[in-house]
Amino acid sequence: MSVPLLVATLLVMSSVAYFFGRRRAFAVAQGRLRSLHSLPAYYGLYVSIWCGLPALLLLGLWVSFEGTIITKLVVGGLPEEIRNLGPDRLNLVVNDIQNLVRGSIVSSKPDAAMRAAAERYASLQSISHAAMFVVAIAIAILAAALTLTRIRPQQRARNAVERILLWTLIASSTLAILTTVGIVLSVLFESIRFFHAVPITEFLFGLDWSPQIAIRADQVGSSGAFGAVPVFAGTLMITLIAMLVAVPVGLMSAIYLSEYASARLRATAKPALEILAGIPTVVYGFFAALIVAPFLRDNGALLGLNIASESALAAGLVMGIMIIPFVSSLSDDVMNAVPQALRDGAYGMGATQAETIRRVIFPAALPGIVGAVLLAVSRAIGETMIVVMAAGLAANLSANPFQAVTTVTVQIVTLLIGDQEFDSPKTLAAFALGLVLFAVTLCLNVIALYIVRRYREQYE
Amino acid sequence: MSNAAATSAAGGGAARRHVDIVMAGMARRRAAERRFRLYGRIAIGVGLFFLVVLFGSIVSNGYSAFWQTELRLDVKLDASQIDPQGGRDPAILGRADYGGIIKHRLREMFPEVHGRRDRIALYGLVSNGAAFELRARVLANPSLIGQTVSLWVPADDDVDMLMKGKIKRAGPEKDRRLKDNQLRWIDQLKADGRLEKRFNVNFFTRGDSRDPELAGIWGAAVGSFYTLIVTLLLSFPLGVAAAVYLEEFAPRNRWTDLIEVNINNLAAVPSIVFGLLGLAVFINFFGLPRSAPVVGGLVLTLMTLPTIIIASRAALKSVPPSIREAALGVGASPMQAMIYHVLPLAMPGMLTGTIIGMAQALGETAPLLMIGMVAFIADIPRGAFDPATVLPVQIYLWADSPERAYVERTSAAIMVLLAFLIAMNLFAVMMRKRFERRW
Amino acid sequence: MESQAISMKGNLDEQHDLSRARAAPAPTVSRETRGQTVGELRSQSARMRCTGVNVFYGEKHAVKNVNIDLGNNEVLAMIGPSGCGKTTFLRCLNRMNDTVSGCRVTGEIVMDGKDINARGVDVVPLRAQVSMVFQKPNPFPKSIWENVAFGPRIHGLAQNKVELDEIVVNSLQRAGLWNEVKDRLHEPGTGLSGGQQQRLCIARSIAVHPEVILMDEPCSALDPIATARIEELIDELRENYTICIVTHSMQQAARVSQRTAYFHLGDLIEVGDTKQIFTRPQHQLTEDYITGRFG
Repeated sequence: MSVPLLVATLLVMSSVAYFFGRRRAFAVAQGRLRSLHSLPAYYGLYVSIWCGLPALLLLGLWVSFEGTIITKLVVGGLPEEIRNLGPDRLNLVVNDIQNLVRGSIVSSKPDAAMRAAAERYASLQSISHAAMFVVAIAIAILAAALTLTRIRPQQRARNAVERILLWTLIASSTLAILTTVGIVLSVLFESIRFFHAVPITEFLFGLDWSPQIAIRADQVGSSGAFGAVPVFAGTLMITLIAMLVAVPVGLMSAIYLSEYASARLRATAKPALEILAGIPTVVYGFFAALIVAPFLRDNGALLGLNIASESALAAGLVMGIMIIPFVSSLSDDVMNAVPQALRDGAYGMGATQAETIRRVIFPAALPGIVGAVLLAVSRAIGETMIVVMAAGLAANLSANPFQAVTTVTVQIVTLLIGDQEFDSPKTLAAFALGLVLFAVTLCLNVIALYIVRRYREQYE
Repeated sequence: MSNAAATSAAGGGAARRHVDIVMAGMARRRAAERRFRLYGRIAIGVGLFFLVVLFGSIVSNGYSAFWQTELRLDVKLDASQIDPQGGRDPAILGRADYGGIIKHRLREMFPEVHGRRDRIALYGLVSNGAAFELRARVLANPSLIGQTVSLWVPADDDVDMLMKGKIKRAGPEKDRRLKDNQLRWIDQLKADGRLEKRFNVNFFTRGDSRDPELAGIWGAAVGSFYTLIVTLLLSFPLGVAAAVYLEEFAPRNRWTDLIEVNINNLAAVPSIVFGLLGLAVFINFFGLPRSAPVVGGLVLTLMTLPTIIIASRAALKSVPPSIREAALGVGASPMQAMIYHVLPLAMPGMLTGTIIGMAQALGETAPLLMIGMVAFIADIPRGAFDPATVLPVQIYLWADSPERAYVERTSAAIMVLLAFLIAMNLFAVMMRKRFERRW
Repeated sequence: MESQAISMKGNLDEQHDLSRARAAPAPTVSRETRGQTVGELRSQSARMRCTGVNVFYGEKHAVKNVNIDLGNNEVLAMIGPSGCGKTTFLRCLNRMNDTVSGCRVTGEIVMDGKDINARGVDVVPLRAQVSMVFQKPNPFPKSIWENVAFGPRIHGLAQNKVELDEIVVNSLQRAGLWNEVKDRLHEPGTGLSGGQQQRLCIARSIAVHPEVILMDEPCSALDPIATARIEELIDELRENYTICIVTHSMQQAARVSQRTAYFHLGDLIEVGDTKQIFTRPQHQLTEDYITGRFG
């Protein structure tokens, strides 16, 4: 019996329990419905929830941990020499076993030990499934029966149901915190392991980044170098270029659209600019790599400039385009929050529109605009696909925007895509970079959100 | 009137001077005003220009991918070759050498071609997929055996590119993908009407492939579908529940403040960080399968939740308190008031926010790379646990492929993705218009 | 243009009358008296002369055929129940209504022999000449000094920092604020009390050396003491400026103005010497308003 089928069964049982509960409520009321504390439907719901919820929760836990436990057991039963292979190879072996169980293609010819392990895996899996089925159904029936027999007219079924519902709502809202905790834990643990291998000072201040570690000891560069300064510098440069494009263009178009444009122009240009925000980043990446980078390279050559085909300029430029609507819609909001009274005050003594905007509205909106720009910076730093597709891999420490540089996100992607050895410093370095990325963007976001909130409160 | 002018001239000597000063400065200030306005126009122009260039370059690169050069072959399906026993057993039919049949036919068409290298060059005009198509035809309809069937098979991607004018005939032979003899054969086939561009069905019905002419987006589209379904099923109820709690029931205290700060911050956390979370928690800790839409859906759920929660809260906020008070006033419990009266009124706004969140999720790439959805997968996934890829990742994969023919396919896949996104956003806008209510 | 406006007016009036008949038992102006304002419309020494001014907000006819003069060195008070069009009319005098979309003004407002609504008239110098103070104090979120210096700076009234300083000090003195703020000129103007803020706004207006100052209920957001201070100030400013003030308070009108105009539902009902309006109103509506029958 498959898991979806079991879930469906439980759901059906739970809806059947609803009718039982309702009927039971009618029965205990003995025709005098007013003697019931709650409407009969609530008794039904009460039974139904008790029938379905515990069993489904158990099912969820079971499925989440089943795989890990079975794998542990199977690995424990493998021959000595396979168990001593080291974590990377062992992972491969486990993968093969799982593939054997599923009956798909395997990377190596299965030998007897593998076959045995696969059989063991399959039998454990079927035992687990059967047990899960029995336990889940049993819990559902037991809980339903128990609640059913305890229905009394005075029972506050509505309150009970609402309490369960409220706890569900609370649990859902806590998910945001759990997500943050999950992010912090997942990057922190791996980073700590990384900093055991590479000192944190070397990571933060080292000038040489070449994370490729040779498989054999006699290869060149087998130690790997994890000084992340060139990576940070590249990120900053691309972000800077992006901001140089996005801030003036975004700000001026927000000003023009909100202060000057006719209603018709606003109704067309504003959504048009917002389309830019809805385009997936992978499309921008393709655009940068296919159109912008070659264009810059060829025209740079005409001007006698030597522009790399993966230049920071191309990636930064396209990232700037992507962020234009972000800056413009945020600063539009911010400037609209400036009270009309200030505009009237300036117009009332003969300021022109440009003077009013430059000398009154803009200074008044400045804190909000700073907040908006900080959010945009945070977004540029964390942007991945554009730089993965259009920026370089090599970590050059350079201030020349025509050269190829690499960024934090590019490194994370390249280190984690492909064959993974989960314990090598190379893989762990990605998590350390992730930690830096998360910490920096978190700070920027918190500061920016705080500034924007303070700013709004000022004019409310 | 003359009266007024006289007094102002007599009485306002000092004041007059100031107006004159103001008037004197007007030319300069008008010019500054015009300049400022011009900057604004330029900014909008720049934004729209980029938009046009972006769409223009994608469409101009991509529209040609909807046609594919195909080659008409009249192959004789010899029973002795395909089904020596005559039992029409699918297992035996499936094992026959269809590639050989096609090669044989090519040799018949160009009897003058001799020598191993020339023959390989000749075979190279036809896609590797031709044999599969022939096989599929025969398996679907065994009665064709013994007849001569006329069949359009995809040409090789180089031939396709040549027909579309994307690679040139000129230049020294050794630098060209297509050699002189191949060009000659192509011209002959074209003259015979055996080579033409036809609607590219494969592009919409097949999964990924190493051969551009056989690569399609259907596999990625199905993967995107499963991923989005998982995302929707999880994020909508969770998002609405969280929004309802925070907006309707939560006390104002440190804890709810913390939740709020968290939600606002998560909305701005780089997407790739969610990918790291997915890799570390869902795959390494819970041992969920790599490359599976279900994991992608989980990651995207965490990513889109803030969007949905923020939109849902705005929708709940816009329901006037009088509705709640009216319900409470007739004896409903707060929960009943919320479920029966507030929620239905807020639902359109919540759905709009959810659609926009789904559109974001559909376009998301980076976190899915982290959880292995970047693998090469040729099969169409049959469920949320099968290895799969999604449209944006497919675009990334193709964009990285060196073959010239993938450029147009990437662009075409982008066009399909954008079409979906535009449709979703339009739907959201329409829904907002339809249900917009002023209280 | 004119005929179109008139034909439209007929149409609109019907609608207007209908809605009024349904809504309120408020006294209405009979058709015959419309545009026939009672009292002395014209002034001996007119600084601005308005003839047949109409204002439309989209469909709504907000100000109907108003004729009135603003005399030199006098304070003209405009009173009337809320929504009677007095503020709208005031905003016509320096074309502040330009910033309201859907607002249309017809008629003539002549200043220095020119119609301010005429083609080619620039609002910027006009507003420098006819400056406005608003209902709610609206100092810019900048220092006190910057607030006052804003106007002279944009209009280029000072050649250098010394002159600018002089203008700022002078304006603050004339607005009676100097003694209170001279030690904190570089603190934000938003930190002042409400009354001080309003006087700062008046100082800001004076700093551009206007000839006419328009005030839109300048005391409605202030306490009685601050109000008294501003009223005093208005009386002092009369020596050098023409002032037009919209007010809700009849007492204020009686205290500060030389002439008073009474508006009712977009019509200018009566204009006259303030003393005479408050003691011997000629029109029934004016009398009803002053004696508190409605308003």
